[in-house]
Amino acid sequence: MKKEEIREETSQLVVFKLGEEEFGVNILQVREIEKLDQGLTRVPKAPRFVEGVINLRGEIIPIVDLRKRFGLTLPALGLDSRVIIVEIGDEAVGMLVDAVVEVLRVPVSAIESTPSITKGVNTYYLAGVAKVEERLIVLLNLERALSQEEAAELSKAELG
Amino acid sequence: MDTSQYLNVFMDECQEHLQILNQSLLDLEKEPDNAELLHSIFRSAHTLKGASATMGFNKMSNVTHAMEDVLSLLRKQELQITPEITNLLFDSLDLLEALAKGITEGREEDIEVAGVLQRLKKYSRQKEEAQVETAQANERRKTLQLRYTQEEKENVTKLIEEGNSLYHLDIHLKQDCLLKGARAFMILRELEAVGVIAQTVPSAKELEDEQFELEFIIGLCSKQPLGKIEKLIKRVTDVKEVKSQQVKPEDILLERRDKPEYEEVTTQESPVPDRKEQKSVSASTSTSTSTQKQKGAVTPNIYPTVRVDIRKLDSLMNLIAELVINRSQIEQLSSEIQDQRLEETVEHLNRLTIDLRDQVLKTRMVSIDQVFSRFPRLVRDLSKNTGKEVELRLSGVDTELDRTVIDEIGDPLVHIIRNCVDHGIEEPKEREAAGKSKTGVVTMDAYQTGNSVMITVTDDGKGIDPEKVAISALEKGFVTKEELEDMSDQDKINLIFLPGFSTAEKVSDVSGRGVGMDAVRAKISDLGGVIGLSSEPGQGSKFTIQLPLTLAIIQTLLIQLGEEVFAIPTSFVDQTISVHKKEIKILRHQEVTLMRGEVLPLMRLQDYLGVKNAKNTDLDELDVVVFKSGEKRLGCIVDSLLRQQDVVIKSLGSFLGEIPGIAGATILGDGKVALILDLRNVA
Repeated sequence: MKKEEIREETSQLVVFKLGEEEFGVNILQVREIEKLDQGLTRVPKAPRFVEGVINLRGEIIPIVDLRKRFGLTLPALGLDSRVIIVEIGDEAVGMLVDAVVEVLRVPVSAIESTPSITKGVNTYYLAGVAKVEERLIVLLNLERALSQEEAAELSKAELG
Repeated sequence: MDTSQYLNVFMDECQEHLQILNQSLLDLEKEPDNAELLHSIFRSAHTLKGASATMGFNKMSNVTHAMEDVLSLLRKQELQITPEITNLLFDSLDLLEALAKGITEGREEDIEVAGVLQRLKKYSRQKEEAQVETAQANERRKTLQLRYTQEEKENVTKLIEEGNSLYHLDIHLKQDCLLKGARAFMILRELEAVGVIAQTVPSAKELEDEQFELEFIIGLCSKQPLGKIEKLIKRVTDVKEVKSQQVKPEDILLERRDKPEYEEVTTQESPVPDRKEQKSVSASTSTSTSTQKQKGAVTPNIYPTVRVDIRKLDSLMNLIAELVINRSQIEQLSSEIQDQRLEETVEHLNRLTIDLRDQVLKTRMVSIDQVFSRFPRLVRDLSKNTGKEVELRLSGVDTELDRTVIDEIGDPLVHIIRNCVDHGIEEPKEREAAGKSKTGVVTMDAYQTGNSVMITVTDDGKGIDPEKVAISALEKGFVTKEELEDMSDQDKINLIFLPGFSTAEKVSDVSGRGVGMDAVRAKISDLGGVIGLSSEPGQGSKFTIQLPLTLAIIQTLLIQLGEEVFAIPTSFVDQTISVHKKEIKILRHQEVTLMRGEVLPLMRLQDYLGVKNAKNTDLDELDVVVFKSGEKRLGCIVDSLLRQQDVVIKSLGSFLGEIPGIAGATILGDGKVALILDLRNVA
């Protein structure tokens, strides 16, 4: 029994919180996790969910507020808030989250590809749900969650 | 085989050889008898063939192969160089350039090569039939011989004494073999398993590098019978035939002192064309100075160079920018601590950082020759198409510019040259009637002054008639009669930079239709440069382009707005003025002021950028930054002007994409990001 568990394919997730809900991204897409201790520079005329840009050791990184991205109304960021720097293609983007919980190894079999529960986040942005014991971790589809084009279309669709 | 990682190297090499081909072909057209030129063309075609085949770009390798066949006939003088052949070679070169472009864009497959291939093959086939195969073979036999050094001979003799036999294996690969290097390598590996390889011609390294034709000879010491070895070799793909013989120790040839070079092409680095102060290329006359100088000239001092991915230099630049920021932080601390020794050390660090920055900037510099070298061909084609006789004179080709500027400046210059030839230079008859020489001259010059590089393009054509420009502008509705009355001749000439303006009486194939001089000016101002035009009717016209040395570091004006700091490149700024709030009037719901008698529209920058807590609404004396786009000006009201500062420009990245009014970002001394504004198009 134990042997089988070891042999089973697993996936490592960085688990973070938006409000009380837990989300996860594949660790392979995460470059690093930073505290947002330096000031953000606001970018005029950027998409609404782009908080601004920061200087990360000489590199200019755009910071996305996932809470705004998903239209979640939540209290202001607290002390635990972090920036998860992820890589999409060649580009590094920072995601502002309420807290980073842990790095979790979950068996691939525990991931359901079609999420049935969404709690306010449009399923379009999701890649699946991982069920770990009693917890439900919502996996993000980063390409979609951080893409501007889709966002524009969606907001149009919502308006219309 | 995954070749993607080699693609950059391949493309660099490809560009280099295409450039050599271009130059050599131009020269060859003038000196059809120059064998050295023919060699150089052949070498480049040969190298391209090998490289493209290795990378699997079959179309390119097919074209170069066919070119090589024709060139080789020319070299053997079995075919005479005719204008028809030169044109064919030029067409082949164009096709290769198209293919190279296609490869970078990933659409090599779509490019049609059959036409040129057929034309090339027509020549080589004509001769092929008449050729006596054996004569060729004999020639080769003569040139390929295995020779040993004294030491090698002793080793071989020893091996023979130990019961080995020495075999000389003369291996021919099939004509259409693509991976010659790999095949040779496979053969060598097979043979190493059954014996000791004593010697090869060409050398093992050359074999691996594909620096050989289809034939090579291997000297092998082995205990196996000859028949078995032959079989081993024949098992390898693409082997056409093996001629082998057993060699007795006393028959071993010793190496000649004068090194019998394999007569065939050795793809060594082609000599760098020596840089001449004045290259003269004329498209219609047969005189040329460039190649004669080059012929037989000892290659000038060439220092070993390293090819570096530009991204590495970019990240080096980033690190240095970081260092500069760090340095200013230390400077800040040191001024607080007030320690003599610390201050001295910081001062030293200061100088080092500046030197380091300058050196890295220098590594990014490329000589403008890379751009200029395209133009002789352009002028040749233009003069053929228009029937005008034009000579292009280049000078200052050693002038260096930042790589990024070099990449962008080519197209605007092409457009200017086209304009010069098309609109400037007159028909030969017209020129003679005006008492000028039949051949028009276009001169391009580049030189550095301070922190900029000047490029001038001058022609000795008919010049620009300000009145003609004025009338045309009036007809097209760009200006009113009243406006024209106030204009000087120079102002009128500058009208040709207006969008949509073109003085061509007929739309010609040469100057193109879509883009006009306005596009040229736009491009140059994107590069932070300025273009000017002066003209003397009957004498010609002169374009003057001033470009910044580098795009990586720009001089900016830092401004404060609310709590935010923005950087504005000084090259975008027309001027800064101070306006008292009483001098601001409202005209059609817009704030305006008078600047030197002209109405200047004003904009509160915070409205455009969405800045909160801007203070300028409460101020009496307002700082205004004036942007100029074409003839239009816009004054942007800011809170305060901070200072001028050189900054390293960084892209905002593709995630944010293009944001109107923002040209990029930079990192200030305190580590914070400041956005770089470009409001010229908002005006």
